[in-house]
Amino acid sequence: MNPENPYEPEPAEIIEVIDETPMIKTLALKPTSPYQFKAGQFAQLTLPGVGEGPFTPSSSPLEPERIEITILKTGILTDGIHECQAGQTLGLRGPFGKGYPVDKLDDKEVLIVGGGVGLAPLRALIYALLARLERVKRVSIKYGARDTSELLYKRQYDEWAGTKKVDFTCTIDRPEPGWDGNVGVVTTLLENIDVDRPNCIAFVCGPGIMLKFVTQALMEEGLTPEQIYLSMNRRMSCGMGKCGRCNIGPYYLCKDGPDMQYSLIKDYPNVF
Amino acid sequence: MTVFYLPKDKFVGWLSGLNGGTVFAPAATALGSWVRRFESDTDEPPALDKPRAAQSTKGFFLPPAETIARYGPDAGSVAIAEGRNVLVGVRACELKAWKYLDKVMLEGDFDDPAYRARRENAVIISCDCADCAETCCCVLVDGRPYVEEGDGADINVTTLEDGYLVEPMTDKGVELLGGEFSEASSEQLTARQRIRDAMVERLKTQNADFTFNATDANPPDLPLDDDKSWQRHSADCVECGACTNICPTCHCFYLFDHELAVGSNERVRAWDSCLLSTYHRMAGGENMKISPRPELRSRLANRILHKFVYSPQQYGMLGCVGCGRCVDACPGAIDIRKVVEDLSK
Ligand SMILES: Cc1cc2nc3c(=O)[nH]c(=O)nc-3n(C[C@H](O)[C@H](O)[C@H](O)COP(=O)(O)OP(=O)(O)OC[C@H]3O[C@@H](n4cnc5c(N)ncnc54)[C@H](O)[C@@H]3O)c2cc1C
Ligand code: SF4
Ligand code: FES
Repeated sequence: MNPENPYEPEPAEIIEVIDETPMIKTLALKPTSPYQFKAGQFAQLTLPGVGEGPFTPSSSPLEPERIEITILKTGILTDGIHECQAGQTLGLRGPFGKGYPVDKLDDKEVLIVGGGVGLAPLRALIYALLARLERVKRVSIKYGARDTSELLYKRQYDEWAGTKKVDFTCTIDRPEPGWDGNVGVVTTLLENIDVDRPNCIAFVCGPGIMLKFVTQALMEEGLTPEQIYLSMNRRMSCGMGKCGRCNIGPYYLCKDGPDMQYSLIKDYPNVF
Repeated sequence: MTVFYLPKDKFVGWLSGLNGGTVFAPAATALGSWVRRFESDTDEPPALDKPRAAQSTKGFFLPPAETIARYGPDAGSVAIAEGRNVLVGVRACELKAWKYLDKVMLEGDFDDPAYRARRENAVIISCDCADCAETCCCVLVDGRPYVEEGDGADINVTTLEDGYLVEPMTDKGVELLGGEFSEASSEQLTARQRIRDAMVERLKTQNADFTFNATDANPPDLPLDDDKSWQRHSADCVECGACTNICPTCHCFYLFDHELAVGSNERVRAWDSCLLSTYHRMAGGENMKISPRPELRSRLANRILHKFVYSPQQYGMLGCVGCGRCVDACPGAIDIRKVVEDLSK
């Protein structure tokens, strides 16, 4: 980001476009200068002349020279981004936000719960944890999507599941020919979860309704609000706590989040 | 610092002789006082004896719309620093508002260079209130209608019957006042105190219907935005955004981009309003909740909660300075004092 002007995007060239699902693409970008970010911090991604939107890199924070951003096509900006080809130049501002508290996870059981495109920011967390697996107790990844065509990063599941201390389970909402895995919404993977509850920290990202039901399910499983971090991906503009747009109570999600400990926000209305 | 006495003609002469900047000062109009360019050939003093201007001066630092960045291979960059503005007749409540805006725009991990340049470039000549609007209510939010050292002015002016007391409050102020003016007499200083005390009394009297006394450390206890009682007040809101535009501490903005020419794009920062239904709108289609505050009730609540409850937690300061401008501006006659009085627990 231009240190003289935090509103000016820095050019970033698209070096690869990966089709993930019919509606989701991952763009790999080569930023002008290394984009040093912490897992969970987000970027404002500019489509030149159109505008910008907040997206959390899904790539490893250890690779600041190749940033991957996984994008669901859902409106004006993201339709435009989906048209882009390798070689085109986009813009990056940031990183913004606090990022996941990776350094507070030593000896913890990390529970990662994603829904749909919500696995994108969580993948950056997974990469960050894989790089320091000796420090955490275990990483459990629970992922759900509507159907098999909407599952993200399929190519990586075997590797994750095969890694010692890592456990990966996914589910699709409805049965489908040829699928012999779990069926049901993602909360079904949380019934009687096999984690050391008092020592567990959960990170959840997905659509608002999914956040709500996952939070309920985790509380029923005995987790406390302090142990649950939710990705609060609200409308944002500046990313810096100045434009006022993204508050829950006294918190600006862009600055104090976007991942918020549920205990901090649970008493405010309209969280979900 | 030392207080000086300037008779009327000397004061006007000093103001119109100020160089090194464009001077803006309140002028009396049929619609109340408005901040205008102060012409150097005038012998008419600025309207310091009138109530605060209808509009706040936040636009000098945070303009309604500005090009905040240019990008693209042929875009060039945007020139941020501007010439020096000398703002005359700024009130104590506005100085407090700027302290608040400084926290928002300049503190934390990201500095706002455009705001900083204009803020640091400006010269502030404030004045004690010699008159007030019916809606002025600084005394309800721990404010006062006069200016003291440390409030953020370079020079403060008190209007006396036959002239002005002028008190430099910073080195910049001392330098600007320059000249050989006579020191204020102790009678004049006593007169200044009398004027100040009388204004405080008058403000207390005109706000006697309101019993709350909000301070940074003791803000009112208001219900959260899901409480139905907000409806009593939001029923009168027509979502025009006048209150947020006119408010000296409201700083919400949105960034818009557009293409100027191939390879050259502009990013514009424009004021926005949290009362508008589009303010929180997110992406998403049918069956998705695309706004966390779809009801006007909760948006109005969010604005007032931000001023009175969240700001003290975020910045250690109330977000309302009691200027009363939103009360004057609202076509639905929503009076923020009545809202707080009605809903405080
Ligand atoms: C911190 C954060 C991280 C995110 N990470 C990801 C991610 O990794 N991957 C991902 O896919 N998504 C992510 N999102 C969501 C993503 O930012 C949005 O889906 C995207 O910005 C939608 O833009 P759009 O232009 O395509 O949608 P549109 O619905 O077209 O919206 C365009 C903009 O204009 C507004 N708008 C549209 N129509 C109107 C209207 N009629 N009136 C007023 N305003 C309107 C919208 O609110 C939006 O800001 C993230 C969001 C946040 C906050
Ligand atoms: S000025 Fe009044 S009507 Fe207009 S948005 Fe504000 S509260 Fe609503
Ligand atoms: S996005 Fe501007 S304050 Fe959060």
